[in-house]
Amino acid sequence: MALATALIIALVLISIALIGVLVARPGLTATQGGKVMAFLVLFLLPILCAGLGVSSELERSKATKFCLSCHIMEPYGQSLRVDDPTYLAAAHFQNHRVPADVACYTCHTNYTMFGSTKAKMAGLRHVYVYYLTKPPAPENIKLHEPYSNRECLHCHLGARSFEQGAVHTADADLLPSVKANKVSCVSSGCHETVHNVGTLNKMKLWSGQP
Amino acid sequence: MSLSANPLERRLQLAGILLILGLLTEAICLFRARPLSFLAFIIIGGTFLFLGLLVYLLSLVSIKPPSPKSDV
Repeated sequence: MALATALIIALVLISIALIGVLVARPGLTATQGGKVMAFLVLFLLPILCAGLGVSSELERSKATKFCLSCHIMEPYGQSLRVDDPTYLAAAHFQNHRVPADVACYTCHTNYTMFGSTKAKMAGLRHVYVYYLTKPPAPENIKLHEPYSNRECLHCHLGARSFEQGAVHTADADLLPSVKANKVSCVSSGCHETVHNVGTLNKMKLWSGQP
Repeated sequence: MSLSANPLERRLQLAGILLILGLLTEAICLFRARPLSFLAFIIIGGTFLFLGLLVYLLSLVSIKPPSPKSDV
């Protein structure tokens, strides 16, 4: 458990103890000092605890292990360990092109003003589908909308390997089209092998630690 | 432990109990980083905390001022 989470839990437990004192001895609030204490304990501390808790939960929901905690996502976790550099997600995960501990979130959030909120709302839909409907097989899971190049360009735009790569510059129209999101990075012929969980059983997996 | 006979104190106790339930839910949910913990924290914990704060604030505004005493 992270230190920040442990500190929040400690604060919550202290708050519970203080509230418990007021519940057991409500007569304490009759004095001026008691009223101030009641305001602190019954109003400010719970709001502080809730705010810190929400912040902590939102931060933890970005974790790779959080996403992979649903059974249906296990093959996607395995696809990060495919020992083949043509597998886009695996190459990014194993070579630290994305932070390994927030790998899913890094590629599947929207880099827009409310992108993080949209990603969380999409996550709530995933929970609904997983627990309250019949979820599809892992290999049949589709994205809500076509993958936007914006998420790739968030990191790659301006990078030498991207701007001056031999394949990228072979056709003068390619890079402008990619930057305008007219040609998808993950389209056929380019980086189309991403997770491909349907063929994982034929692949060798990397056993190292990213 | 029994609830106080004083209406204000009774409301404060009720607010405290609701807040304790909300904070306990939060503490339990913080132990596990799973989607269901996240939802339980937001829905169950959030509801208890919201109700606790609401009861506390209502108890403040619902205090009846002491009846004015006659000077005569």
